[in-house]
Amino acid sequence: MTIFTYRDERRLFALITVIIVAALLALVQMNAQRSGQASPLTTVGTSVVAFVEMATSTIFDGVRGGSSAVLQLPQLERENGTLRSANLVLEKENQRLHEVAAEYASQGVAKPLVDLYPNALVARVIGFPPEGTSRSVTIDRGTSGGVHKDDGVVADGGIVGRVESADPFSSKVVLVTDYTSRFPAVTRRGRFWGIARGNLSSVRVEYIPQDAPIKIGDIVVTGEGRSFHAGVPIGRIVRIERGDETLYQTAILKPAVELGALDRVVVVPK
Amino acid sequence: MLALLAQVTLVHFVTVRGVEPSLVLVAVVWFAIRVNTQRAAIYGLAAGLGEDILAIGTGGAWTISTTIVAVIAGALSRGFFADSLPLVCVITAIATLVRLLVFWVVMAFEHYPSGLAVLHFHEAWVAAALNAFVMLVAMIVARRFDTA
Repeated sequence: MTIFTYRDERRLFALITVIIVAALLALVQMNAQRSGQASPLTTVGTSVVAFVEMATSTIFDGVRGGSSAVLQLPQLERENGTLRSANLVLEKENQRLHEVAAEYASQGVAKPLVDLYPNALVARVIGFPPEGTSRSVTIDRGTSGGVHKDDGVVADGGIVGRVESADPFSSKVVLVTDYTSRFPAVTRRGRFWGIARGNLSSVRVEYIPQDAPIKIGDIVVTGEGRSFHAGVPIGRIVRIERGDETLYQTAILKPAVELGALDRVVVVPK
Repeated sequence: MLALLAQVTLVHFVTVRGVEPSLVLVAVVWFAIRVNTQRAAIYGLAAGLGEDILAIGTGGAWTISTTIVAVIAGALSRGFFADSLPLVCVITAIATLVRLLVFWVVMAFEHYPSGLAVLHFHEAWVAAALNAFVMLVAMIVARRFDTA
């Protein structure tokens, strides 16, 4: 090895010191990981970085929107005339739809998520895990905004995941598709129970009894659990795995929410 | 730091077969092959720790793997020219494979559920190719600036 050829021992000692420091820091992180709590390093680091992530995300959105607008300027001018005339028609249609929406709201059918869940908090997705080794996102609400570990997170359509760690100004949410994710699940039709486990791009509902007559297209919802009340849609069955020599069958779900295009989510304190 | 911020905000939108290039690794290798081993180790330590802080459930896996890769890259670079395009790209690809191998070994010790080894193996090869490509582009751009 090249490092044994150093003549200056101070360099070798410096290298050893760096490795020892690395090991100590790694141990602190691993200890925090095993105890299920955020390490002091993580708390300080995420608090600082959350502000930078918010700023970067905002600037990136602004630059992306601005540049695309400039590039499409000639086309936008042509479309402007067409849209002005269409606008008059749409305004009338809009008034009609407002009346329809008000009617639905009065019947409790089309209530927004924040109305459905008391104490719900709207949050924006501001960051993603480095290098995509986990299916998770960072949101811009933390303990100072009322978010706690294990709170459920939903979006329009169904379950997103649960809060894995809450820092003062941001929180990390493990998506339902993450490999470490586990939820109690039940089919809406027939009420057959299972355990929903993340499978990176889909969700697997395992331990469904072999004789349960589940079908492709059935909707699976959450059972009463640590993060969610019962009845939040997890996804729709797209494949069923049955074996002749097993006690259980497994349903593969397409998540109810488009998890690759998350922007705003709702945190639901349990 | 810039590479890390880009990694958690922008790079998520640039994936190939579900795999993101690692700007953090490219930055670490870039610096590691240009400095001595202990400074390379410091870069690796800082970058890995930053990733662990911003990730979920990785414990110290990025810290350990990135520091080791930085030390190896720093030690290897004493035997070749740091401005050789093919050599640096190969080093980057190898560094990616070694880093992910160490990362998932540490994750296994931290009780990450098993069963995805084949997937991680395939992803590692894609990541190696992606990172080598990013390094190639970065070096070509840097040369343009140097000659300008």
